[in-house]
Amino acid sequence: MDRRYTVFRYIAYSLELLLLFILQTTPRLLPEIFGSKPLLLIPAAITISFFESEIPAMFFGLASGLCLDLGYSDNIGFFTVTLTISCFFIGLIFRDYLVISFLNALAFNAMFCAGLIILFFLFSYVFAGKGDVLYYFSHHYISRIIYTFICGILLYFLNKFLYKSLRDI
Amino acid sequence: MRDFLSTKSAKILIATLAVIIVIAILGATGNPWVSSAFNFLTKGLSTVTATFTEGHKDYDELKAENEKLRQEAADLRTQLVDYDDIRAENARLWKYYKLKKTNPDFEILPASVIRRDTNEAFYSFTIDAGSSSGISVQDPVITENGVIGFINSVNATSSKVTTILSPDLQAGAVDKKTGESGVVSGSAILGEENKTAFSKIDANAKVKKGDVIVTSGIGGVYPADLILGEVTDIQYDDYDAAKYAVVKSYEDIKNVTNVVVLTDFKNKGEIKKGAD
Repeated sequence: MDRRYTVFRYIAYSLELLLLFILQTTPRLLPEIFGSKPLLLIPAAITISFFESEIPAMFFGLASGLCLDLGYSDNIGFFTVTLTISCFFIGLIFRDYLVISFLNALAFNAMFCAGLIILFFLFSYVFAGKGDVLYYFSHHYISRIIYTFICGILLYFLNKFLYKSLRDI
Repeated sequence: MRDFLSTKSAKILIATLAVIIVIAILGATGNPWVSSAFNFLTKGLSTVTATFTEGHKDYDELKAENEKLRQEAADLRTQLVDYDDIRAENARLWKYYKLKKTNPDFEILPASVIRRDTNEAFYSFTIDAGSSSGISVQDPVITENGVIGFINSVNATSSKVTTILSPDLQAGAVDKKTGESGVVSGSAILGEENKTAFSKIDANAKVKKGDVIVTSGIGGVYPADLILGEVTDIQYDDYDAAKYAVVKSYEDIKNVTNVVVLTDFKNKGEIKKGAD
């Protein structure tokens, strides 16, 4: 079977993740909203998972998690593990149980963006015993979650376009 | 559940997670080769994009900077009568060659900011120099305007910097005017305004607005007399009513693009008498 388009699609996803990593980490490039910048790689991995089966979805989740973790620290950690698992199950759910629709995508995007960022906040700030946790959350993380979610909507349409344009028939 | 675990996909997921965990454990126990490889591969791209945006400022920023510069010029004129203030201002205008000239024991290494941590509230960043350039963990990071932070982690080609706005940093500090000592450390609320706290000072301390806070040199992490900032307010802790001074850095830490790492200096690593 000719899988040429699938390979092109995977290359396109990989380039997308690389571009988003650069956009996310380059100083003074993305505008801040209420002092926060979005974590673009989270919705990117989630929206790719809507259109791919569980194994490719898992690997794109793994790649996004590695970029998120290793971009700022020397250790593979929270995002590598959580995005690998999340993307695997999103891929599985959308392959076997749910139909991809805009509303489903919105709901999953909101749930996973908020869930993963809040979990990260809990591990990095609350459980780490840092002070002023409510201040951090209200002044940095709420805006970050909303900003990330809104970018996720755009990434949903981008990945839908890539999937439809580069699909083996 | 058993059916799911026996599927090929589930086995691949479990194998992948096992590999991730093994690599994470190896990395955490002092062998961060994945991180080093990642940073080696992405450093070039990050450097190019960071250079591209280095001088980029929008109209509002330029306007604000212009206002700030005007204000600073006015302040400078009024400060001419005050020797201490002149000295502090001179310190702000240090250039790196001057820094080296006045501190021949300093081994300095200029570096550029190539990444900002989007998911961290204390403005930590990554610079484009690592252990191959002689940088090691805990080296002080400064600019001509004072201390920025310290090297938190290092690999061959890049290093992560924790800023003085972070509560993870605790630097021994002294009020240049009164000689009173304390500790400078960050907090969420102050960090947002480019400020940090000079705490653990005596209840009767005579620290006041306008005083310049410098490093004490105690502890061997920072050399003595590096500028941390200027006192802008005196406050009391909500919990234990302890007195502390709010210190504003002379450097715009959120947007700094070029820094200097002090890779070596006299008494580095030596704990002076009186240190905790």
